[in-house]
Amino acid sequence: MPTNSQPAGFWKRNQMKIAPYVFLAPGALMFLIYVLIPIVQSIWISFQDWDGLGPKTWVGLANYVELLDDDTFYVALKNNLLWLGLYLLAIPMGLAAALFLNQNVWGIRLYKSLFFFPFVISQVVVGLMFTWFYAPDFGLFSQAIKWLTGSEVAILADERYVTYGIIAAGLWPQTAYCMILYLTGLNNLNAEQIEAARMDNARGWRLLRHVILPQLAPATFIAMVVTVIGALRSFDLVSIMTAGGPYGSSQVLSYFMYEQALSEYGYRMGYGAAIAVVLFLIMMVFITLFIVRMIAQERNR
Amino acid sequence: MAEVSLSNVKKDFGAISIIKGIDLEIKDGEFCVFVGPSGCGKSTLLRMIAGLEDITQGALRIGGRDMTKIGPSDRGVAMVFQSYALYPHMTVAENIGFGLRMTGHDKAEIAKRTTAAAKMLQLEPLLDRKPGQLSGGQRQRVAIGRAIVRNPEVFLFDEPLSNLDASLRVQMRGEISRLHQDLGATMIYVTHDQVEAMTMADKIVVLSAGRIEQVGSPLELYHRPKNLFVAGFIGSPKMNFIPVEARPHNGGIEVTLPGGTLLQLAGTLAAAGKMTLGLRPEHATATGAGDAVLPTKVQLAEHLGSETLFFVSLADGSEIAVKADGLAPQRPGGAMQIGFPARACHLFDAAGNAVLNGDLTR
Amino acid sequence: MFPTPIQKASGPTRLAYQIALPIALVIWLFPLIGVAVTSLRPASDLAAGNYFGVPSSIAFENYAAVFRDSPIGWYILNSFKVTIPTVIGAVGLSCLTGFALAVYGFRANLWVFFAFVAGNFIPFQILMVPVRDLTLKAGLYDSTLGLVLFHVAFQTGFCTLFMRNFIKGMPFALIESARVEGVSEWQIFRHIVLPLMRPAIAALSVLVFTFVWNDYFWATVLVQGQHAMPVTAGLYALNGQWVAAWHLVSAGSIVAALPPVLMFFLMQRHFIAGLTLGATKG
Repeated sequence: MPTNSQPAGFWKRNQMKIAPYVFLAPGALMFLIYVLIPIVQSIWISFQDWDGLGPKTWVGLANYVELLDDDTFYVALKNNLLWLGLYLLAIPMGLAAALFLNQNVWGIRLYKSLFFFPFVISQVVVGLMFTWFYAPDFGLFSQAIKWLTGSEVAILADERYVTYGIIAAGLWPQTAYCMILYLTGLNNLNAEQIEAARMDNARGWRLLRHVILPQLAPATFIAMVVTVIGALRSFDLVSIMTAGGPYGSSQVLSYFMYEQALSEYGYRMGYGAAIAVVLFLIMMVFITLFIVRMIAQERNR
Repeated sequence: MAEVSLSNVKKDFGAISIIKGIDLEIKDGEFCVFVGPSGCGKSTLLRMIAGLEDITQGALRIGGRDMTKIGPSDRGVAMVFQSYALYPHMTVAENIGFGLRMTGHDKAEIAKRTTAAAKMLQLEPLLDRKPGQLSGGQRQRVAIGRAIVRNPEVFLFDEPLSNLDASLRVQMRGEISRLHQDLGATMIYVTHDQVEAMTMADKIVVLSAGRIEQVGSPLELYHRPKNLFVAGFIGSPKMNFIPVEARPHNGGIEVTLPGGTLLQLAGTLAAAGKMTLGLRPEHATATGAGDAVLPTKVQLAEHLGSETLFFVSLADGSEIAVKADGLAPQRPGGAMQIGFPARACHLFDAAGNAVLNGDLTR
Repeated sequence: MFPTPIQKASGPTRLAYQIALPIALVIWLFPLIGVAVTSLRPASDLAAGNYFGVPSSIAFENYAAVFRDSPIGWYILNSFKVTIPTVIGAVGLSCLTGFALAVYGFRANLWVFFAFVAGNFIPFQILMVPVRDLTLKAGLYDSTLGLVLFHVAFQTGFCTLFMRNFIKGMPFALIESARVEGVSEWQIFRHIVLPLMRPAIAALSVLVFTFVWNDYFWATVLVQGQHAMPVTAGLYALNGQWVAAWHLVSAGSIVAALPPVLMFFLMQRHFIAGLTLGATKG
């Protein structure tokens, strides 16, 4: 190559090396500033006593020690586990709905869309709908309970039932989400494999268990990921429906954190950050599992 | 002038060595075919010449200039991909002119060259179509057209016909050969199909496991394969390999065929030992004429009409193929006398290298 | 196809299925139907205890009242002011990052990609304190721009995952072919990859629109006053004012839910394609 066109030559010779960083820079920078660095900052703040305005005071592990003594923390933790466990019901429910709707009859597309509806609606609206649904005296659900058992239950005001009530509201959109994942999975089944299995006399439950479910594994995996994340992220419904009450009995970590850091009880940023770190660590377990699986997949490409 | 020369070119992917030292000279205007089984490194080697893969070691020169570290766009090469790589959102004309447009050629020039290329490839009526509306053969021509407009010194083809059906493949084979004659450019063509290699090439490079097994004209490779690999790879149906005992005898070579029949070959041999005798199915005779005649049993007959391919078993149970006239009367289960003409026999030593070539052109 | 197509079943089974479909749908959407009916019920019905019966009249008046007596129209405008720039920003940035991660084999590639993916799943609370602080310091607290910037950054994680996988699915020979032709990397992005990304851009736009429109957490963390409040947080505030005025709460809910619902119906195919990415191939 002639060397007299050095400036243009430099870019030409090196564009393959430089280009990826140029393309990456704007997005990566935003993500760094608003997501990655704040994670580190939060961990840092969790070792401080801070009201959000004044100077920070290093308190070491004091926030975490206090957390271990806080009854609300245990209630929130217990409720989070409850959310996690019950939220997973969205997966079999979504599969059932998908199997029910995976037919080719007139108008089925509209049915599928309408079944999917709850997922498109904001959780704020879902929360309000279920609050109305559960309302004592005139809520449809309360009326149904009254008609069935003779006695009325105010779900959202009863410490025994409140979390279950909120989770049920959360299951509504989540089931719709899982349903759409499975509908897509069912749509892409290997038809020849099913025909072969039918020739081998597999049908009904056994066909589902041994031939269909293995083919749906990618859908199941995604459904698991989004459901676990959804359960641990539960904030909107708790905030809208009960604000953690009555008497903190429907607390979850995400709302507890918000309340400690930003509510009228005072701005305890350090303590809030400590709660967030705990939640983050729980979530990290699942994120790690997910990433490990993705690495394995990338290697297989 | 665009001769391509590779000297001791190597390619590693991590710890794995894919190309293990290639020395090769391709003359200006030559049609050179890289052929070999899948995984032999032929596509990688082509992509290294294109600049799409880095060269780990060694040097590449095109037209006398060192191109080892130069980017693909500055090597004066054009490439036709196996998948054609047509841009689905552009018309045929846009596809052909895209590279010129992006490198700042003016509109009139682009139009002129596009029209010329389209004319050469009979694409004129299709210029406004999108690739999705074309047949496989037409897409193939567009891909070639895209290469032509750039007036490259070297054309690179990466298995360009493997996505076409058999009859189109024969037709496109002819078209590419004609194009080579018309343009006179250097062309390097990768294929796993030895028929393509034989019919199109001026020079064939047989590759195996990242090394060159042999370089030569199609007839050289057919008549004088250097080793068992090339002998087995070139020619269809495959050359028969028969294990034999060979020893020097009366200034020639004597081999013992299965069943004990002796065959005298011209040539010299240093020492006696176990060897492999090679004989192409088309050179064995089903009529029983030959310098040695073996009694065999017919296992299978493939009738192609003009000829019949017999698979027969020898005394030791090993099977060989014999090409016979289409009217040959033998049937599976029957006996057949197979003649071995001495001058068509190849002999390979225990390491697989040719000791003797049954070169019929001599 | 699984289950066995209903067309192959006996007549009564087919009929039963056809009947079961609408019944199941009504049960499934019961809360929604209830709210929709309530939103059209005159206040007098509620006062008279007519919660479930046929409304005595259809009261579009409720909707008029919501728009007239509350700033919900303003809240909706705010939601648009947050959502539309976010969609443009996040989708635009992720076209670039997705391209970088799909096409180039640089050393840190996989790690950067995993950072985007992992960041996508973290709980918002771990970001809350620093992001609020950052927004305050930048003078963007209580503004739609503050929300937009955060949403753009956060959604870029998900969008990058999506775009990168989409571009990876394209034939790489398209890019190599252009490189041999002397096309620069930017031109490859602009003239080859970007035009082919249209379906992905459509799918992501609808998804991000829905996610951001429906966001409630950040709307409460980064906004305080009415003038920048999106409709989700606004609706919650109004719920506090309209104690037991369920006809108004219902009408407000329907209004707030409408834009993403319309979006979903208009671009259903893209929406589902985006949401189910990866659900069919391992």
